[in-house]
Amino acid sequence: MESSEAGTVALPPPVPLRRRYPWLGELSHFGGGMLFLALPLFLFGVFVFYPLVKSVYLGFFVSDPFGHGQHFVHFDQYRQVLTSPDFRKSLLVTFLFALYTVPTGMVLGLVFALLANQRLRGSLFFRTVFSSTIAASVAVAAVMWLMLLNPSAGIVNWVLGQFDLPRVNWLTDPQWRESWDSGPALMAVSLTTIWLNIGFTTLVLLAALQNIPQELYESARVDGASPWSLLRNITLPMLSPALLFVVIVASINAFQSFGQIHILTRGGPLDATNVIVYSIYTDAFINFEYGAAEVRAVALFVLVLAFTLVQFRFLAGKVFYR
Amino acid sequence: MALVAFDDVSKFFGEVVALKDFSLEIGDREFVVLLGPSGCGKSTALRIVAGLELPTKGNILIKDQIVNDVEPKRRDVAMVFQNYALYPHMTVYNNIAFGLRMRGMNRHEIDRLVKEAGQNLGLGELLRRKPGELSGGQRQRVALGRAIVRRPVVYLMDEPLSNLDAKLRVQTRAELVKMHRLLQTTFIYVTHDQVEAMTMGDRIAILEQGVLQQVGPPQEVYDRPGNIFVAGFIGSPAMNMFPARLQTRNGDLFADSEVGSFRLDTQQAHAATDASDGEVMVGVRPEHLYVSGEGSGAVSATIGAMVDLVEYLGNEAHVTFSRGDAALVARLDARVKLKPAEIVPLTVLVENLHLFDQASGRRLA
Repeated sequence: MESSEAGTVALPPPVPLRRRYPWLGELSHFGGGMLFLALPLFLFGVFVFYPLVKSVYLGFFVSDPFGHGQHFVHFDQYRQVLTSPDFRKSLLVTFLFALYTVPTGMVLGLVFALLANQRLRGSLFFRTVFSSTIAASVAVAAVMWLMLLNPSAGIVNWVLGQFDLPRVNWLTDPQWRESWDSGPALMAVSLTTIWLNIGFTTLVLLAALQNIPQELYESARVDGASPWSLLRNITLPMLSPALLFVVIVASINAFQSFGQIHILTRGGPLDATNVIVYSIYTDAFINFEYGAAEVRAVALFVLVLAFTLVQFRFLAGKVFYR
Repeated sequence: MALVAFDDVSKFFGEVVALKDFSLEIGDREFVVLLGPSGCGKSTALRIVAGLELPTKGNILIKDQIVNDVEPKRRDVAMVFQNYALYPHMTVYNNIAFGLRMRGMNRHEIDRLVKEAGQNLGLGELLRRKPGELSGGQRQRVALGRAIVRRPVVYLMDEPLSNLDAKLRVQTRAELVKMHRLLQTTFIYVTHDQVEAMTMGDRIAILEQGVLQQVGPPQEVYDRPGNIFVAGFIGSPAMNMFPARLQTRNGDLFADSEVGSFRLDTQQAHAATDASDGEVMVGVRPEHLYVSGEGSGAVSATIGAMVDLVEYLGNEAHVTFSRGDAALVARLDARVKLKPAEIVPLTVLVENLHLFDQASGRRLA
C-alpha cells in the first residue's frame, strides 16, 4: 500500500467490512444457508411447486386434445367439474374407499403386529410373513388378486361355494343391491389395497411395539392390570404416535391409489371404483380434457391437505410423544 | 410366622443359573435386604416373589400359601422398579391411581388416597405433570407413591435408589427406613450397595452366583462373615486376606502367611483343625490393623510393613502398606502421620482374626 511508504504516516488498519456493516454478515450467513438449500429447493420447485401452481392455473383454461389452443374460462370449468354428478360420485367412492381400507388395514396391522410381537417359537417367521407384502409391487398384487377374485376360477368364490354361499362377480358387479352406493367391485379393490398396505402397517407398529419398555407391562401387571387393560392403558397410548403416522400415511395412500384400480377394474363397473385419482387419469389421458383433469387434481390436493390437517387437529392431542 | 418364604427355589434361564436352591423366610414387618454383585440372582429372587418370573423348581409362599401359579395382580405385592417404570403417558396422579383403579376402588376413595400420598411425599404440586417433566428424585417419589397407596402385604424394591445422585440417595435411604417404620409392612429390598444394606436392613441376605451365602443382621454379617466371599464383599475398604498354612510351634498353633505368622488362641486352634488340609485364609479388617501401641489385647502378630499410599479422608486415613508382594490396607486415625516408604510395625490382635477354610471358603473362627 502507498501509505506504508517510509516517511508517511501509517494509516490505521482498515476496519473489516463486516464490522462496519453488520447486516453484511447476516446476509452472507443467509446466503450460505441458501447455498445448502439450493439443490433441494430447485428440485422441489421444478417437480412440486411449479406443477402445483401450474395445475391451479390450467384449471382456468379449456384446451384442445393436444393441450394447445388454451381458452380462458374464468371459474366456469372449476364450477362445472366440481358440481358435476360424476365428480360427486367419485368423491363418494374415494371416501368409501378410504373408509374401507384405512380402519380395516390399521386394525388388521395392529392385530398382526401384536401377534408377531409375542415371544413364541417361530415368531420371526410370522414377522417376516406379516410384513412381506411391503415387498410386493402394486402391479403384482393386483394381478394376484385378479386371479384370486376370478368369478369362475378364483379361490375366493371357490371358498364361498364350499360354504354354500352365492358366488360373487367381484370385479364386474357395481352394487351389492340396487340403490346401494358400493358393491363387490369397490370391495375387491379395497381388499387388494388392504393387503398391499398391511405389510407396511404391521412393520411400523411392530417396531413401535418393540420400543415399549417391558417394565411398564411388568409394573402394570403387579398393579393389577388384566391383558385387556394392558392393551388399553399401556400398549395403545404408547403406540399412539405410530398409529397416527400409520393412519395419515394410509389415508393419503387411499386418496392416491391408482395402480390396483387400473389393473382390476379401470374405474368401473359403472364408475363404482372411479376414485378421484382415476377420474383424473381418465379425463387427461382418455378424454384428453386436461383442464378438467387439473381441476380434479387441485380438488384432490385440497382434499388430502384438509383431511390430513383435520386428522392432526383431532388426533394429535390424543397422541403421546415420549 | 413367615410372611414370604422361598422354599428351595431354583431358577434357570436356559443354561444360566440365576438362583439355586434358595431358601429364606421373611417375617411379617421385616426389612430384608437381598445383597450381592450384579448378576447374583437377587433381582430374579424379587421378581419371583412378584410373580414376574416362575421358579424352575421349589415353591414361593406368601402368608403360608404357595403362590407359584398365582398371577402378579393377585399376590397383593407392590414393586418399585430400578428405573421406576412410571407410565410416561399418564400424569403423576394417574400413575399413582392406576393400581387402585385396576382394583376397582371407587373414585372418591382413590382421589383421597392419591392426594394423601401426594401430600406425604411432597408431590402435591406435581400431580398434574407427566413423568417426563419431573426430576429423577421426583420420579422416584412417584414410584414410591404408586407402591404406598396400594397398601400391599409386602413391598418389593429393586435397587430403587441406584438412579439418584449421592446426596439424594443418602436422604432417601433415611426416608425409606422411616417409611418402613410408619407403614409397619414387610419390605424386600434388592441392592448391590452394601452401605444401603447395612443401614436399612433388619437382616441382610447375601447372594453370589445364585447361591445364598449368608443371612443375618447387618452387624453379625459384618462381625462374623460366614465365608470368604461375604468377608470380602462386606466392608469398605475390603477385609485383608492372606492365604496361610497351619503350623504348631512351641505348643502354639500358628497360621503362617506371606506377611507373617498369626498366633491362634486355643479356641481358634480347635476350630482350625476342621480345615481340610491345613490351608486356611486369615482375614483382618482394615480397622483392626493397629500402628504399634494403639490396640490392647492378646497380640497375634506384628507385621513390619512399608507405607505405600496414604489417603486422608478427613476423619480417618486409609493407608496401603506392602510386605513382599502382599498389600495390606489399614483404616487409621487421620492424625497418625505416615510417610510413603516408611516402615511401620502393624499389630493384629487375636480377637480380631477371621479364619476361613481355604478350600471350601467357609468360616472356621
